[in-house]
This record gives sequence, structure tokens and C-alpha cells, in this order.
Amino acid sequence: MDSITTAASVVAAGLAVGLGAIGPGIGQGSAAQGAVEGIARQPEAEGKIRGTLLLSFAFMESLTIYGLVVALVLLFANPFAG
Amino acid sequence: MIDSPGLCRELRCLVCKSTSHWHIFTPIGGIVVESEIVEDCSSRDPLLGIDSLDSSSGVKSDEYLDLQLRVFRLTFLLTIFAVGIAGFFLGIQASASLFVGALSGIFYFRLLARGVGRLGTSSKIVGKVQLLVPVLLVLVSSRFPQLDLIPALLGFLLYKPALIIEFLSMP
Repeated sequence: MDSITTAASVVAAGLAVGLGAIGPGIGQGSAAQGAVEGIARQPEAEGKIRGTLLLSFAFMESLTIYGLVVALVLLFANPFAG
Repeated sequence: MIDSPGLCRELRCLVCKSTSHWHIFTPIGGIVVESEIVEDCSSRDPLLGIDSLDSSSGVKSDEYLDLQLRVFRLTFLLTIFAVGIAGFFLGIQASASLFVGALSGIFYFRLLARGVGRLGTSSKIVGKVQLLVPVLLVLVSSRFPQLDLIPALLGFLLYKPALIIEFLSMP
């Protein structure tokens, strides 16, 4: 793998993780805030709120995982490596 | 049996492992007095026990545990189905990779559920430990030639159809 490809892969991996984590991070923060407020207001609905929060987190965090997987593939199993 | 005049503790876990008895022998005025303390061990969090999720808060949330169990069951069913299909059409290596990926996906979801279960009670944030699971999966898949990367990643994402089905079936 030549140096240009290596450098581009490393930069792309960093961008994939960094940019891919911004949106889910904001979303998870606001979702957790809403869930904790909801549990504090309605403790009897804790199970339902936590379940919905878990599903939401799983969906949101998969976006981070996509970026992470792309970055790891670029770093450890680069298809552009000659 | 007391070997020293100091404090001697004996830990006895009962059958259910949820409570433990502490026998404390304290020398008072030349007489050794035995006192017993029954401690509830349910607040101790074993690493991955499903029943340990909400015991720290003491709040009963059966719905949350039921949801997790339903998702796990559905993921297992989808894993068995997908591994069978992959083994039939793509070979044993792809199906083994898919199986490893599915197991890591289940482990990831378990860690995520554990983090969400602790949110607001013993932790103020949801941990990011679960993100190490796909990292390790990709690293292992790239290191070991017995595992394929793409089937392993597809297997890892097998928990998502189960989540979608569960989400659609929610009232």
C-alpha cells in the first residue's frame, strides 16, 4: 500500500468515526434526558420508558457502528491496498 | 472457630445467592459475642445477570426484562435461521462467521441493555463499553482467516431485525 493510500485511509477512518458519532451522540443525549425526566415524573412507567429508550439507543448507536466498521475496515482490511 | 481475639467474619451464601449471612465475633469484656447480619446481595451486580439490571434501584420493571428476553429470543431464532441458510448456500465458513457475529451482536445488545438499565440509578451516562464489541469482532475477523468479515458483520447486525419486529409489535 503506497503512502498516499495509507494517509487517505487513516484520514477517512478518522472522519468516518468522528462525523458518524456526532449525530447519534446528540440524539442519545437528548433521548436519555427525556427518559430520565419521564421516569422522574412517572416512576410507575419506568419499564416502558426504559424499553423504549433501549430500542431507541440501539437504533441510534447503529449509526455509530456503521462509521466504526467503515473506519476499521479501512484500517485493518483495506480493500484499496495493493 | 476463632483464631484471633479480633474480628472474625464468616460469609455464608444461601441457596438463592441473594442473601448472605455475616457472623461477627466481637470480644466484649472477655466474652466473645456472636452477632449475625443478614445482608441482601441482590444489589451486587454480577457481570451479565439479566435479573441484576434493576435490582440496584430496587424498582420493579418487569416490562424491561420481558422486552430484553423477547429481543434475545427473536435474535436467537433469526440467528438459527440465518446460520442454516448460510450453511446451506454459502458453506460452513460463512455460517460460522455469521454465528460468531450474531453472538457478538447479542453480547453487544446485552451490554447496551445493561447500560440503559443503570441509567439514572447508579450511573448518569450510558457507557460506551458495548462499542468495543464490533471493534473486537472486526479485529478478530481480520486476524483469523477462518472467519470472513462480511458474514461476521452481517451476523452482528442480526439483532436489528429483531428490534424492528419488536418495535413494530409494541402497542
